[in-house]
Amino acid sequence: MRRLLALWEKEWLALSRDVLGLAVLFLMPAAFIVVMSLALSDVFKGGAARLTGFAVMAADPKLAERLVRSLSGEGFRAAPAPADEAAARDGVRRGTPSLVLLVPRDFERALNAPLDGKNTPPKLTLLADPALPPTQLLAFRQRVLGVALALRVSAMMRRAGIAADADAFDLKHAATLNVETIGGTGRPSSVQQNAPAWLIFGMFFVVMPISSLFIVERREGTLARLVSLRVPFSMLLLGKVGPYFVVNLAQGALMLLAGRTLVPWFGGETLALPARWDLLAAVTACTSVAAIGWGLFVAVCSRTLEQATVIGGVGNILAAALGGIMVPRFVMPETMQKLSEVSPMAWALDGFHAVILRQGGAADIAAPCVKLLALALALFAAALWVHHRRRVLAPAQ
Amino acid sequence: MGTLNLESVSFRYPGRGETVLDKVSLAIPAGGIFGLLGPNGAGKTTLISILAGQLRGATGSISAGDEPLEGLRRRRPHSLGLVPQEYAFYPMLTCAENLRFFGAVQDLAGARLRERVAAAARFARIESALSRRAGRLSGGLKRRLNLAIGLLVEPEILLLDEPTAGVDPQARAFLLESIRSLAGAGRTILYTSHYMEEVEAICDRVAIIDHGRVLVSGALSEVTRDGSGLQELFMQLTHRSLRD
Repeated sequence: MRRLLALWEKEWLALSRDVLGLAVLFLMPAAFIVVMSLALSDVFKGGAARLTGFAVMAADPKLAERLVRSLSGEGFRAAPAPADEAAARDGVRRGTPSLVLLVPRDFERALNAPLDGKNTPPKLTLLADPALPPTQLLAFRQRVLGVALALRVSAMMRRAGIAADADAFDLKHAATLNVETIGGTGRPSSVQQNAPAWLIFGMFFVVMPISSLFIVERREGTLARLVSLRVPFSMLLLGKVGPYFVVNLAQGALMLLAGRTLVPWFGGETLALPARWDLLAAVTACTSVAAIGWGLFVAVCSRTLEQATVIGGVGNILAAALGGIMVPRFVMPETMQKLSEVSPMAWALDGFHAVILRQGGAADIAAPCVKLLALALALFAAALWVHHRRRVLAPAQ
Repeated sequence: MGTLNLESVSFRYPGRGETVLDKVSLAIPAGGIFGLLGPNGAGKTTLISILAGQLRGATGSISAGDEPLEGLRRRRPHSLGLVPQEYAFYPMLTCAENLRFFGAVQDLAGARLRERVAAAARFARIESALSRRAGRLSGGLKRRLNLAIGLLVEPEILLLDEPTAGVDPQARAFLLESIRSLAGAGRTILYTSHYMEEVEAICDRVAIIDHGRVLVSGALSEVTRDGSGLQELFMQLTHRSLRD
C-alpha cells in the first residue's frame, strides 16, 4: 500500500505541475457546456422558443383577419401580408416571413359546398422557407387544417339552421389537454443534454495526461528503472488510477456547477439536480474508471507522444460523435442510434440521463455502469497483456 | 554476497534473427569494479537489462554467490541497484521529491527514508539542489541525482550503465571518485563506459564484448600486459569500422 501511495503522490505532483493539461481537463468541458447549451437551446425546445413569422393572403380581408387570429400563437407570429403572390414567394425565399398561406378567391364558397363527391375540397397553398425545421412546418400545417375544419363545420351547421361561430370549433377549444411527462422532464433540455455530455467528453480526455506522462516515463528510462526495482507493472498502472479518479470527480462537481451557475448567467436554462446523489456518484465513478482504463491502454500501446495524441484524441472524438455527445441521439436516424450503442460515451450518457433527467433508481443505471466497468477491466487487462508481450519482444524500454 | 557468475547467457529478441548475447560467461567478483566494454550495439545494455530484470527469456544461468540471482532478488528485492544511462527520474519533480519517491517504492518509510534520502544526497553532493526541479538541473547534477537514486537502498550489486555520459571533466572526476569509494564493503559493481581512461582509472577487472560475445575478460593488468593500453586493445579486438 505504501508503494501505491507513493505512486499516487508522484502522479499527483506531476499532474499538478502540468498547468496546460489541467486547463484542458477543466476549462475545455466547461466552455463546451456553456457554448453548446446556449447554441442548441432552440433545438431542444423543438423550435418553440423562436417565433416563426407567417402571413395570410386572402382576397376577403375579414377572412384573412380571422385566419390570422386563429393561426397566431404557440410559436407563430403574424406578419404583414405581401402585396402579391410574387412578392410573397420572394419574401419566403429570403425567410421573411417563413410561411405564407395563399387563400384562393372561391375558398369560402368551396367550404360551403357539401362534401358529396361532386365537389372537391377547397385548395390552399402554403409557401414555406426551406430552412424552417420540419416539425415547425408540420405544426403550422396542422393548425391550418384545424382552422379550415372549424370553418367547414360552422358552415355545415349554418346550412342546418344552427347558428354557430367558427371560433367555437377551434381545436384549442375542443378540450383542455395537460401533458404530463413521467420521470423528470422527459426529453432533455439543452443544458441537461450538454452538461453531462461534455462532462463525459472531458472525463475521457484524461487519456492525454495519462499517456503523455507514461510515454515520458518509458522514454526517459524511469519505467525500466521502476521495473528493475521490482515494482509490478500492474501496480504502476494502478498508481495512475487514484489521482485521475479524483480529477474526474472534481470535473463532475465543477461541470454541475457550470450547469447551475454559468449557463443561466449567460441566459440559458439552469441544470436540474438529481434526486439521488449516490447514483450520480456511482455513474461518475464508473465513467471515470472506463476513461482511465482507456487512457492506460492508449499509453501502453503508443510508442510516441504523437501516436498517443492521435489515437487518444481521434478515438475520443469518434466516440463522442457516435455516442450522442456532439449530436443528441434522438435526432439521429434509427441506424445511427443503434450504432451509437457501441460507444462507451453513449453508455455513460445513458447513466447520467437516467439519474439527472429521468430521476431513475439503481436498476436504471445498472446496465450502463456494468458496461463501463467491464470495459475498464478489459482495457486494463489489455494494457497488461500488451506490456507483457513488449517486455519480451522489445529492447529495454 | 560473493561473485556474480554468468554462465553461457544467451539472448535473442523473439522474431529477430540475430543473437544479441551468445553464451556470455563472466565472473564479477565482489569488492571491486568490473568494467564492461564494447562498441555500440555490442550487447552491453541488453546484458544489464537482463541482470536488472527488465528483459526475460535469456538462457544460461546467473547466480550471486551460491544462489540464482532471481532467487536472491525474490528474497531480498532491493539487493540490486541500477543506474541507467538515461536520466531515469521525473523532471517535473524536485530532487527531494524524486529521492523520496524512489525510496518509498523500495519500501523505505518514515525516519529511515529521511535518513537514506539525506545520505544519498550527501554522497552525490546534491544537498543544495534538493528543492530544485530535476528537469532544470545541469547535466552533471542530473547524473549525480541519477546515481543518488541508485544508492538509496544501499544495494549489494550495482549496475552502472555509462554513468558519466555527457558531463564536464569536474563532474566526471567527482563521479569516478564516488564510484571508486562504493567498491568497498563487498559490493559488486558492473560498470559500462565508452571512455577507456575511465575504465583504466577505476576498474580492476574488465571484459570486452562485441556482437554478443566475450572477446576478452580478466584482470586489467593481465589483459593489457603486452604494454598496449586498453584503447589499443579495444580497437584491435573490435576493429576500427564505424558501428552506427
